[in-house]
Amino acid sequence: MKGSIIWFVQRYSSLAILAYFLYIVFYLVGASGSYYDWVSFIASIEMKAITSLISILIISHAFIGLWTVGTDYLTKRTLGFLSPALSKKAESIQFLYQLVFILCGLLYLASILYIIWKI
Amino acid sequence: MLTNQLEVSMYRYNPEQDEFPYMKKYKIEKPARDIMVLDLLHLLKEEDESISYRRSCREGVCGSDGMNINGKNGLACITPISSVMKKNKIELRPLPGLPVIRDLVVDMTEFYAQYEKIKPFLQNNTTAPEQERLQSPEDRDKLDGLYECILCACCSTSCPSFWWNPDKFVGPAALLQAYRFIADSRDLETVERLDALSDPFSVYRCHGIMNCVSVCPKGLNPNKAIGEIKSMLLKSKKNIITSDGTN
Repeated sequence: MKGSIIWFVQRYSSLAILAYFLYIVFYLVGASGSYYDWVSFIASIEMKAITSLISILIISHAFIGLWTVGTDYLTKRTLGFLSPALSKKAESIQFLYQLVFILCGLLYLASILYIIWKI
Repeated sequence: MLTNQLEVSMYRYNPEQDEFPYMKKYKIEKPARDIMVLDLLHLLKEEDESISYRRSCREGVCGSDGMNINGKNGLACITPISSVMKKNKIELRPLPGLPVIRDLVVDMTEFYAQYEKIKPFLQNNTTAPEQERLQSPEDRDKLDGLYECILCACCSTSCPSFWWNPDKFVGPAALLQAYRFIADSRDLETVERLDALSDPFSVYRCHGIMNCVSVCPKGLNPNKAIGEIKSMLLKSKKNIITSDGTN
C-alpha cells in the first residue's frame, strides 16, 4: 500500500465526514423535531446511500488512525519501555489489537447498514 | 546551594559496571565568564575522568557532541551555559531514542542506516562533462537550507516517530538529505528516489510536530523538506520532470 493513498483517504474522508455532519446539523436546526419527519428524512434512498458511504469512510478513517497508533505504540521498542517480556510479544500484541478494532469496525458498519436499510 | 555554584546532573551508565543507568550530580564553581556546555564537560572530566562523551571540532561543524541539554537536544560546543541554565542547574543526558553505549555516547547505527537508505550521493548516468556538471544560480539556490546539515542527529532523536520506528521511518535528518538530492537539478533519479520513500512509513510517519525544527543547531527546517517530498509524492509522476527535460 502506498503512503499517499492512505494520506488521501484520511484527509478526504475527514472532509466528507465533516460535510455530512454539517448537513445533518443544518437539517436539525430547521427541523420540526418530530419522529416522523426524521424517519422520512433518513429513509430516502439518497440519504440511505450517503449515510452508508459515510459509514464506510468513518470506518476507513478510524482504521487508519488506530493502525497508526498501534504501529507507533505497540512496537518492540515502545513495549520494551514497559517490560522486556512484553517487547518480545510486540508482534502478537499488535496483531491482536488490529484484529479487535477490525472486528469492532466491521460489526459497527454491519449494524449501521442493517439499521439504515431496514427503515 | 551557594549562588556561585553550578549543579550539573549527568546521565551515567557504564555497561561493564552498572546494572542500570543513573543520574549523578556534580557541583562546580560557576565560571567567571559564560562558557559552552562542552567546556563545562571538560571541567567535569578534570574532576571525574570516567565521564564519556564525543567531541571533535568544538565549533558546531562536526556534529559529534549532540546531546540532550536541560531537556532539549543541541550541540554542547555551541550552546552557552547561560542559555540553558535554570536556577544554576544543568541536566545532561544522551540523545534520546538511541541505545546508549556509555554515559553521553550513543550508538548511531540506526541513524546512519536510514541515511544510507536515501542514497546520499549524486546520481547521474549521463556522460560526465570535461570539468564539472554546471548548475544555474537559481537551481543552486534550491539547495540552500539543505546542504548545511551536519548529521548531528539532534533532529531525528527529538522526533517521536523516529523513537518508535527507527527502522522504518527515515527521520528528519535523512529526509532533509533525501530532498537535498531530489531538489538537485544535476540528479536524475528523482522518480526512483520518490518511489523508495512512497511506503506508509518512510516519509508519511512524519506528523509535522516540528521538534526537528525547534532543535536543529544549524537553524534548518527538515519539516519543510518533508512537506516538499510529500507534495511531490502526492502529485502524479508524470508531472515530475528531471533536469534533462524528460519525464
